[in-house]
Amino acid sequence: MAGPSWQDRSWLWQGARAALSFPAWTVALALLGVGSLARDVGHPIGAAMMSTVLIWAGPAQVIFYAGLATGMAPAAIAVAVSLSSIRFLPMTMSLLPMLRRPGQGTGEQLLVAHFVAVTVWSESMRRLPDVPQEHRVPFYFGFAGACLLLSTVATGIGYHLMATLPVALAAGLLFLTPLFFTLSVTGGARRAADWLAIGLGFALQPIMLAGLGDGLDLLGVGLVGGTLAFLVGRLSEARR
Amino acid sequence: MSLADAAGSALWPYVALIVFGFLPSEIWRVLGVVLSRGLSDTSPILVWVRAVATALLAAVVAKLVLNPSGALAAVPLLARAGGIIAGAAAFFATGRNLVAGVLTGEALLIGAAWWVGQG
Repeated sequence: MAGPSWQDRSWLWQGARAALSFPAWTVALALLGVGSLARDVGHPIGAAMMSTVLIWAGPAQVIFYAGLATGMAPAAIAVAVSLSSIRFLPMTMSLLPMLRRPGQGTGEQLLVAHFVAVTVWSESMRRLPDVPQEHRVPFYFGFAGACLLLSTVATGIGYHLMATLPVALAAGLLFLTPLFFTLSVTGGARRAADWLAIGLGFALQPIMLAGLGDGLDLLGVGLVGGTLAFLVGRLSEARR
Repeated sequence: MSLADAAGSALWPYVALIVFGFLPSEIWRVLGVVLSRGLSDTSPILVWVRAVATALLAAVVAKLVLNPSGALAAVPLLARAGGIIAGAAAFFATGRNLVAGVLTGEALLIGAAWWVGQG
């Protein structure tokens, strides 16, 4: 009953091709800078590339290396990294049910979860509904694996390259993360509740930063903005 | 303490990466696996969870645009916000073409950064 492996391989390649058609390059370019941050604190290139494979979250990697550079206590770095990665909880929870298949073990679920990052998540939420249920897992691993592989190579290149880059281009690379996040998330918005969540997320962030401080602000925005958007969405659907 | 011993060694960058970078971040993905158990993909809880994730992501964007770090901090706020708006406008004007959106936003931002550097 297990699907023929040539078919899985074909969907794996389709996923990788979809990633390499563009999204993987933006993630990879955005992670160039992490390589140079690791080099600034005197870590070897292997550790820099491993940070992309293991952490797989640009903002957390920046916090980790910038924290080391400014002499933050390791425990404080761990807390800051953890707070910045809270987004992975709702992202993983909403993605996994789309990628279930018969006989799926915990190991495969943890691997699926490990690949979750903003680009992989938002592009998967957008593309997976068009992929037949039984082929989603290989498509996902192809897509996410290509993003991760290219980004790991880019982290290694950035380790040597970034110091020589003009400031305007360095700013452009840092800008890739918020720009691509915006397009990817708005591109996946379908219902009014999605747009409301996006709008509230933008608008509430400065307020939550002032109220909750640097760290818990993102969680506060997610819970308040997401819940409001959800409730408004339910009310408007019930009225219809 | 073993962590203190490791601090001086060549393995320290890797140990620090795993203990203070990988584990604190990965815990949320693992928790996501645990909490998604038994949730059907049509459950209203998932609609709520997805809304929370979407709002959280928009907040990450706002944070990166309003409080940037490194070279991006030298670019005026107007150019940072303008780059996002122009990129999104080009994205939707071209029928959600990611390449058009990213190139437009980047062109505006890099142009502004270059111009500020000249002035």
